[in-house]
Amino acid sequence: MWHRSASFILEKRQQQPHNDIVTNLDSGPQSPTSTAMAAENPNPNISLYYQTRAAHHAVVTSDWLAQAQAAVGQHPDGVVSENYVSSGGEENKVLSVVEMFKNWRKQPELAEAVAAIRALASVIRSSQATTMMELEIELKTAADALKSWDTTSISLTAGCDLFMRYVTRTTALDHENFNSAKSRLIERAEKFGEISDKARRIIAMLSQDFILDGCTILVHGFSRVVLEILRTAAQNKKHFRVFCTEGRPDRTGLRLSNELSQLDVPVKLLIDSAVAYSMDEVDMVFVGADGVVESGGIINMMGTYQIALIAKSLNKPVYVAAESYKFARMYPLDQKDMVPALRNIEFGVPVPEKVEVETSARDYTPPQFLTLLFTDLGVLTPSVVSDELIHLYL
Amino acid sequence: MPEGHSPVNEFVNKLKKRNIEGSKATAKLTAELLRSFISQQRLPQHNQAAALIDAVKAVGEKFIAASPVELAVGNVVRRVLHIIREEDLSLTTDAVDGLSLSDESDNEDDVEQNDHPFLSASAVAAASRNALRPPSLQTLLEDAPHSEAAPHPSSSEGDSEGITKSADKNSTTRKLKHNVIEAVNEFIQEISTCHEQIAEQAIEHIHQNEVILTLGSSRTVLEFLCAAKEKKRSFRVFVAEGAPRFQGHSLAKELASRGLQTTVITDSAVFAMISRVNMVIVGAHAVMANGGVIAPVGLNMVALAAQRHAVPFVVLAGIHKLCPLYPHNPEVLLNELKSPSELLDFGEFSDCLDFGSGTGSPLLHVINPAFDYVQPNLVSLFITDTGGHNPSYMYRLIADYYSADDIVVRPKSAS
Repeated sequence: MWHRSASFILEKRQQQPHNDIVTNLDSGPQSPTSTAMAAENPNPNISLYYQTRAAHHAVVTSDWLAQAQAAVGQHPDGVVSENYVSSGGEENKVLSVVEMFKNWRKQPELAEAVAAIRALASVIRSSQATTMMELEIELKTAADALKSWDTTSISLTAGCDLFMRYVTRTTALDHENFNSAKSRLIERAEKFGEISDKARRIIAMLSQDFILDGCTILVHGFSRVVLEILRTAAQNKKHFRVFCTEGRPDRTGLRLSNELSQLDVPVKLLIDSAVAYSMDEVDMVFVGADGVVESGGIINMMGTYQIALIAKSLNKPVYVAAESYKFARMYPLDQKDMVPALRNIEFGVPVPEKVEVETSARDYTPPQFLTLLFTDLGVLTPSVVSDELIHLYL
Repeated sequence: MPEGHSPVNEFVNKLKKRNIEGSKATAKLTAELLRSFISQQRLPQHNQAAALIDAVKAVGEKFIAASPVELAVGNVVRRVLHIIREEDLSLTTDAVDGLSLSDESDNEDDVEQNDHPFLSASAVAAASRNALRPPSLQTLLEDAPHSEAAPHPSSSEGDSEGITKSADKNSTTRKLKHNVIEAVNEFIQEISTCHEQIAEQAIEHIHQNEVILTLGSSRTVLEFLCAAKEKKRSFRVFVAEGAPRFQGHSLAKELASRGLQTTVITDSAVFAMISRVNMVIVGAHAVMANGGVIAPVGLNMVALAAQRHAVPFVVLAGIHKLCPLYPHNPEVLLNELKSPSELLDFGEFSDCLDFGSGTGSPLLHVINPAFDYVQPNLVSLFITDTGGHNPSYMYRLIADYYSADDIVVRPKSAS
């Protein structure tokens, strides 16, 4: 009846002139017409967030790592100093926020949002503003710069928004003088790292009851929160075993299985295609989240949606462990309704030119496939998430 | 606490021996006992609410430990704790308003002192309001400084006020107990009248010429159906007998005596009859925070059958049945195994059930669970005394009736 239009042919034709423009931009001279350009991604098609995650958690080949280093270090210092000389000190500040953030982000134990908030705290510290309004405007510029620098990282956006919200609310409440308010903001921002740590421990504590003795847990992706949960359960002498999906192309499963075997937890590695095959032995699925969206669904590493679908059809509960600062104000209607986050995928053999590769790094799991979310705000059902977001932003 | 010792212990014993039947009766008794306990409490001058909360928690923990499966006990304890916190908060905000007004009128020469008490009073109120709400994204970044700041201003307030304010304080603190007891009385009243309030909503849900299915016997369901009958709706009822206790028989007799056309079926026939039914209406033992239902055994099967044939599955539950916990293994942990004698006659089966013969373990096992767990996605509607709700809405009601701090009831210090 309704024939499928061969839209992919049309899209390809549209993409080709587009690609020519993009390559022109890259190869042309670094024109400092807009200083913001220097602060952009050197290669706008690759998601830096997922590159960083991969560098932290994956087992990667050495030449991929070299490639990633080159991509990140591609901000030649020459460009930065050029802009510094030609434009004013403000652009320099904007760039330095991004630099600071990149440095913080490289630490593997630090959460995205914590890195973002620390970077914003350094903006406050180095700010010359004398009134709260000025400070707020500076912070807003810095936050926008961070957000536009990497549009694919949801925790980054959510962390920035949360901090901005806190700043505007604090200034409304306090009548104290400016300096004490400023130091208060810096102190809270620094403390946020502790909050994030505490959040992981709270989540681990809440989820202990749900890990029954003798159960089998399927884990996808490398989430530090989920690892904390499993570590706590192992320390409490619970008997359980874990199935890890391999997690191509980052191969997060290898890293995770390494960590778990050090805790003496029986681990079994599955290739991603073997999930449905093993799902009947599984009692529950545990995943982390890159972001929790307004509908109550989650955005996580590619493959999560697939696993949730299988789990639902075989009646297995899917539990998500996510800190509350990952709640984001977005509402994706389908898989493609987000900012595309692409990454390099290595197949080990060269891929012919004409063959397209699906390089998206993440997918969206709708709320009806999730059973419960463990957050530092407590155990929540997916419908509570939008309630929480409304409380915060209205 | 020598006073109130023996009634508490008596009640604990009754709970352990399962002498009290039914969640409504249990809830009422618990509430009444807590009320008399509170009225007999002697409270210190300062920080009354905290002392009261600790005392109630200590007693409540005993109750909950005595009957872990009877969730209504825990619900009532948590509800009373929430009442205490609420009353304390409303008294504090009243006191703060009164104090800040009088602060401005006195001490006009001491300007500095004016600023600080005013600010800290609002901070105290804000802090206590925050303590009442569950942790949220709003309070994520605020935490430590407010809670540290809060006790300091209150102590400095106490010093700077002087004797004139202490008289006010005495009257406000005496009010706390009084208010709490009033609120608990209201709560007991609510529990007693929950059936009527639920039955009032019957005509909105039962229409003409309908066929209703129910299983076992529930007083709430009985009142619900009879209320619809009073309002001249004509409908028929299928009652599944609810083995092994066969309480469906008594329900069928009651319904027939009130003039309703009733049909009794076996539990196994539910699946066969479900396609002819318009709606399933059942009672519940407890409702969990995720919207799942702890219900008499057999209801999970009815819920699955209803989902298969797209029949609405309506659960009637009074608010005292709402439990703020999330079930992680409800079939095992929130279930009771009753005596096998309800299923099999010992005389006939004594040789198979004999522990003495052979290997010491009988070849014939009998399992008689009392409850079933129904998943939230199988329930269409909850009808409570406050109205009809979606299963995914239950968390809101919990936030209204319980405080996050009380979910794990454990007294802070050993008294």
